[in-house]
Amino acid sequence: MKKKVMVLTMLAFMLVFAAACGNNTESASEQKPKATPSEEKEVAKDELKFPEKPVTLVVPYAAGGGTDATARALAKAAEEFLGQPIGVVNKTGGNAIVGMSEVANAKPDGYTLLFNTSEIVILPHQGMSPITYEDFAQIAQINFDPSALTVPADAPYNTLEEFLAYAKENPGKIRVGGSGTGGIWHLGSASIEKVTGVKLNYVPYDGGAPAKTALLGGHIEAVTISPAEVLTQVKAGELKTLAVLATDRSDSMPDVPTFNEAGYDVAVGVWRGIDAPAGTPAEVIEKLQEAFLKAAKEQEFITFMENNGLGIVLKGSEDYHKMVKKDNDFYKELLGELGLSN
Amino acid sequence: MELLLQGLMNVLDIKVVSILFLSGAVGIFIGSLPGLTATMGVALLLPVTFGMEPVKGILLLVGVYFGAIYGGSISAILLRTPGTPSSAATALDGYEMTKKGLAYKALTVSTLSSTIGGILSVILLIFIAPQLAKFALKFSAPETFALALFGLAIISSISGTSLVKGLMAGFAGLLIASIGIDPIGGFPRFTFGTANLMGGISYIPVLIGLFAASEAFHTAENVLIQTKTVSTSINKVKLKWAEFKKLIIVILRSTFIGTFIGMIPGAGGDIASFVSYNEAKRWSKNPDEFGKGNMEGVSASEAANNGCTGGAMIPLLTLGIPGDAVTAVMLGALMVQGLQPGPLLFTNHADIVYTLFIGMLFANMLILFYGMLGIRLFVKILQIHKAILTPIILVLCIVGSYALGNNFFDVWVMLIAGIIGYVMNKYNFPPSPVILALILGPMMEASLRRALVISSGDVSIFFTRPISATLLLLAIGTLLYPIILDWKKTRKTTTDAKQYDASNID
Repeated sequence: MKKKVMVLTMLAFMLVFAAACGNNTESASEQKPKATPSEEKEVAKDELKFPEKPVTLVVPYAAGGGTDATARALAKAAEEFLGQPIGVVNKTGGNAIVGMSEVANAKPDGYTLLFNTSEIVILPHQGMSPITYEDFAQIAQINFDPSALTVPADAPYNTLEEFLAYAKENPGKIRVGGSGTGGIWHLGSASIEKVTGVKLNYVPYDGGAPAKTALLGGHIEAVTISPAEVLTQVKAGELKTLAVLATDRSDSMPDVPTFNEAGYDVAVGVWRGIDAPAGTPAEVIEKLQEAFLKAAKEQEFITFMENNGLGIVLKGSEDYHKMVKKDNDFYKELLGELGLSN
Repeated sequence: MELLLQGLMNVLDIKVVSILFLSGAVGIFIGSLPGLTATMGVALLLPVTFGMEPVKGILLLVGVYFGAIYGGSISAILLRTPGTPSSAATALDGYEMTKKGLAYKALTVSTLSSTIGGILSVILLIFIAPQLAKFALKFSAPETFALALFGLAIISSISGTSLVKGLMAGFAGLLIASIGIDPIGGFPRFTFGTANLMGGISYIPVLIGLFAASEAFHTAENVLIQTKTVSTSINKVKLKWAEFKKLIIVILRSTFIGTFIGMIPGAGGDIASFVSYNEAKRWSKNPDEFGKGNMEGVSASEAANNGCTGGAMIPLLTLGIPGDAVTAVMLGALMVQGLQPGPLLFTNHADIVYTLFIGMLFANMLILFYGMLGIRLFVKILQIHKAILTPIILVLCIVGSYALGNNFFDVWVMLIAGIIGYVMNKYNFPPSPVILALILGPMMEASLRRALVISSGDVSIFFTRPISATLLLLAIGTLLYPIILDWKKTRKTTTDAKQYDASNID
């Protein structure tokens, strides 16, 4: 009797799941004939009917992180301009590669988008991602946060020049914290060494926040993480940012000079943007670019970014693509010099 | 004090109170489901708070956070399915109590311990937060390494009958923990070129598999083969005042440990509950009863993980540094509201801070309210026939693992862990050392190597710093404690035997 009940319950669940999965495959197969090239062209000729159903924005990071929060705030603002709901889905795993692969392999119809980050121009050179920026059609860049060289407020140097002079006198003595080896904030520190010729001692942490904690505790001498991550303590007078690794000054720290001003041509930081799978029709990209760029200019989104200390840097499809390509070449070379390429 | 009264007035607003009631219930529900952790519950509700007033938005998240940490214990006790990693230690004795028919009592102990632990930790937060926070900053890589090693040494007290089997399980866990990207060098290890292994094996699917799925397989076997009669009686034995009095010391000690560990950046409720469990066993009069359904075990784990909640808020509010994964999400929530956590928060927004404090106390009281009201309902789950309940649990395991990252790979990890857990159970290998090693392994490795980078390779950094040295001594003591105990016992018996021999020779 018990056996029968158990087997029956199991069967019932299997049926429900089979039915659910069955529906999916059915609808998928229904969509396929729609997408035959000839028909698509006809649609395009007449008038672009996009989007006709909700759009999915894949975030390759866990819910609750900075990237996730930015994606959700942007998606909320963009719905109005797109005329369809945007569902944000967190697909984590494999250091974001799982989510990236999913979108790269999705149908290039503009209904599956990726909230991409600068990791896409770093991971492939380390042999950690089979997917590169070329697997995507860049739609719009939304944000850029430079690596900000930050030290305790009572440190013996007050400017970038004094810091570099101190570093030259004490090679390897300044311990700099940031993300894991090969991560973006490590590359920030590494490019400071590269362009200025000083020698630092890099200490890898699990991310910007733990590195900052170590800096506050006096366990290391500097960090090269984003302005957003140090802003609170800078405002409270516990830390000071000497310079940012960018061409333009950061919105959240307008008084802090750039490395560019000191004569070093270097820009290292995190950027975030919207990508579609490569091969997405140009009209669809156009439409998406318009919607997301408009959304990024909405007051609510701007306030969100300001409160979080995140910098808004907007670029359309073409400029965004150029920037990604340039970054890709820069990091390829840098990682090669660091002996981290694979 | 005036600020606290002002805060009380602010909280006693019908809207705020209803938000707390609602979020507490949502939290308990989320927490009791495997795979939906407190972190995820808070993260999912984060966008809802964007449009709300600061106090309401943050208290909504606080309610979910506190509720979820408590909710995890319900399924851990009733179904051996820790709803959140923080309740893994609760399952050790909680489920044994359920098997004995003492589910009602176990849930009462868990509710009371959670509430008291939570309230005390908020009181600590209110009165000595700034002093405690400075201590949190003293924790650098060597201290974190020593804490992780101390945590791992606890394997000796959660191994059950055989220390050797516990250590074997722990080392297997450490091996699994080394999969993924090398935390310091940045190179992939044991990934076989697959993207899914790059980030390592996440411990939550393993936790669900080893505890919940393996138990479901076990029950399924019993139902199908009917080797044993499976019946869970529900004994409505209530907790007696005299029994509760004995628990008070356990609760106080565990709350203190929980608050302390919660405060340390990077260490959360999962570690706190295991450490408290270990300490409860060490100081208990009947350490042999642990793992066989001892109330003190349930109480220690639950007081600690709820004590952790207030502790994790200490560095968040005073320094702007999150104490655990949930408060990391809350940092974002505060920033969105334009409240920069940190030293300036207390001077610039004292009214909001004290309203939050009162709200937190209230959220903890709600746990008591929901818990005491709900126990009768919760235990009804056990009356569902096993033949129906078991498939439901398995479905929850699958859905929960998938929900973690919408990645089907995690479901496979859970299923494989379930099968391994089933076999481990057959041969009396304890599952919790694997979980402990998976949680602490990466932390231990990264901080060991980070400390050596900081000291330029000098090992003395671990012994010359007072906190680190103390924790290392504790670790060694904890690991050797059972061995010394055994040795003493055998020495006693052998000396007795020798005397006997000696007298014989004479």
